[in-house]
Amino acid sequence: MPPLLEAKQLTKSYGETVALESVDFQVHEGITGLLGPNGAGKSTAIKLFLGLTRPTSGGAEVLGQLAYNSVEVRARLGYMPEHDCLPSSVTASEFLSHMAQVSGLPPSQARTRAADILRHVGLAEERYRPIGEYSTGMKQRAKLAQALVHDPLIALLDEPTAGLDPAGREDMQDLIRRTGREFGISILLSSHLMGDVEATCDRIIVLDEGQVTEEGTISRFTQETRSLIIDVDDKRDELVAALAKRGIEATVQGASIVVEQESEEDYDAIRDAVVEADARLRRMAPRRGSLTDIFRATT
Amino acid sequence: MTERSGEVFDLGYQHYEGPREGRMRARKALWVNGVRTALGLGRSSRAKILPTLLFVAAIGPAIILILIASVADVGDQVPEFAGYYQIVSITLLLFAAIIAPELLCPDRRDRVLDLYLVRPLTPVDYAGARWLSFFSIALALVYSGQIVLLIGLTLAANDPLEYLRANWLQVPRFLGAGAVLAIFITTLPLAVAAFTTRRAYAAAMVIGLFVISAATAGGLTECREAHGGGSNPQGCERQAGDAAKWFALIDIGQVPSHVNRMIFADDAQARAAEPSVVTAVRELHSTVPVGWYILMTAVPGLLLLWRYRSIRL
Repeated sequence: MPPLLEAKQLTKSYGETVALESVDFQVHEGITGLLGPNGAGKSTAIKLFLGLTRPTSGGAEVLGQLAYNSVEVRARLGYMPEHDCLPSSVTASEFLSHMAQVSGLPPSQARTRAADILRHVGLAEERYRPIGEYSTGMKQRAKLAQALVHDPLIALLDEPTAGLDPAGREDMQDLIRRTGREFGISILLSSHLMGDVEATCDRIIVLDEGQVTEEGTISRFTQETRSLIIDVDDKRDELVAALAKRGIEATVQGASIVVEQESEEDYDAIRDAVVEADARLRRMAPRRGSLTDIFRATT
Repeated sequence: MTERSGEVFDLGYQHYEGPREGRMRARKALWVNGVRTALGLGRSSRAKILPTLLFVAAIGPAIILILIASVADVGDQVPEFAGYYQIVSITLLLFAAIIAPELLCPDRRDRVLDLYLVRPLTPVDYAGARWLSFFSIALALVYSGQIVLLIGLTLAANDPLEYLRANWLQVPRFLGAGAVLAIFITTLPLAVAAFTTRRAYAAAMVIGLFVISAATAGGLTECREAHGGGSNPQGCERQAGDAAKWFALIDIGQVPSHVNRMIFADDAQARAAEPSVVTAVRELHSTVPVGWYILMTAVPGLLLLWRYRSIRL
């Protein structure tokens, strides 16, 4: 299956500042997260795929075509910007129908698609109200709806949960998951929030200072590691000393003790060390990887 | 036995399998949306006040001219097709200054433009479609006024067929002159609106330009009282002397009137309503006002395109 988006030795500079430097990656079907701190090059990458700016060198390809040179290919792309972008005086129904037509759909089909997509994002009841009267959560849904109204092959979502309260964030994450899995529309989600990416994406691409630092499936980053986490109620220092006496190096991270497990025998050694330290064991479990670790490593 | 009631099925998300008409449909959609926006269609009744007044300003003078022609016995004194444009051009330019920015300013202020430019549209497509939207309205306005005038004057004439025979040449003239006026009142306000996100600033800038240029040109081309005053070129020594005919070009609002005077072949009835700047420009070779009109529409037109070509999101 050819990639939906592909960065080939993609470089973008703004004067002296290099936003992206010879970056190579591909985005396939499914939900892909573009993760990185502010200034990592996420927004620049999105702009390049949308054809809004010309690469300094290399290519940003969309469905096998160079994004900057092909206006027509944009009919199969959806885009939800981070900032406000909705007119306040028109109704969501009229606006979406218009945007579907601007994406190339004939008027009658555009009206049907607008009604359908507003129902899917949960704005069916509100579709005849001016957008200016919407709450922040409703505006985010309307922004997502305009990105999907023409049934794109891939939608590029820039910080889709920005400004939402926890409940609104969860709703939006659910909507993104449904869009990717139920509607079958692939998504490139740019975010600096681990929770959003972890809750929605199948794959991630981590950018830092204009370069790809990590790339792979979410499960690869969140699978069990060889580290063990040990939580005790008291006598933490005594336990660390008892472990050291048995040749096991332990580090204290917050309220937990982390041990790098080398063999199955280590479990027996840890049990003996806990008995010797007379510590009350609360939890001992393999540690799972977290996207926060990747993010921490890049910053 | 009870009748079986209808059932509603949720088919879930359906992919779109219909036609995709690409860039041409995008341009057309933007053009239609521009017309609807300028006319306040699909918006609150408040948004329709100005467009309604614009139509009244365009059609009203035509109806008044018909009434004067049919009620009063003033014969050839009533300004007809050429005079109509002279009467409405300033009012239409003022209204255009207020309404036209509505097509550009909110899209940039609300950042809807970002959504347009990630669809199959280029910035030039966008600016062109918006220009065409207002041009369509302006053309419809000026032509509808002239058509009302033509029908009214024909019906008011003693011999309508004879009137039509004598005046048929006025039809291509008012079509041409209408296009000249519509292009001007569309391009200048849109070009100014391209440089601000506030509709009120754009309107104030165009109206200010129009008022200041009219006052300056009017002052410089006025006849000195000692020589009889008025707008009669014979025996009129203007405030700016010989240079007055050039200073008369400064008046932005009269730029299309100089061309229309030529299209209507110096219509005698229109001269009665002619301001002093138009009279002063008569002293110049005809290529000068035509060239000036082209410059005054081409420069704002190119500025509009340049502004959108260079826009960075």
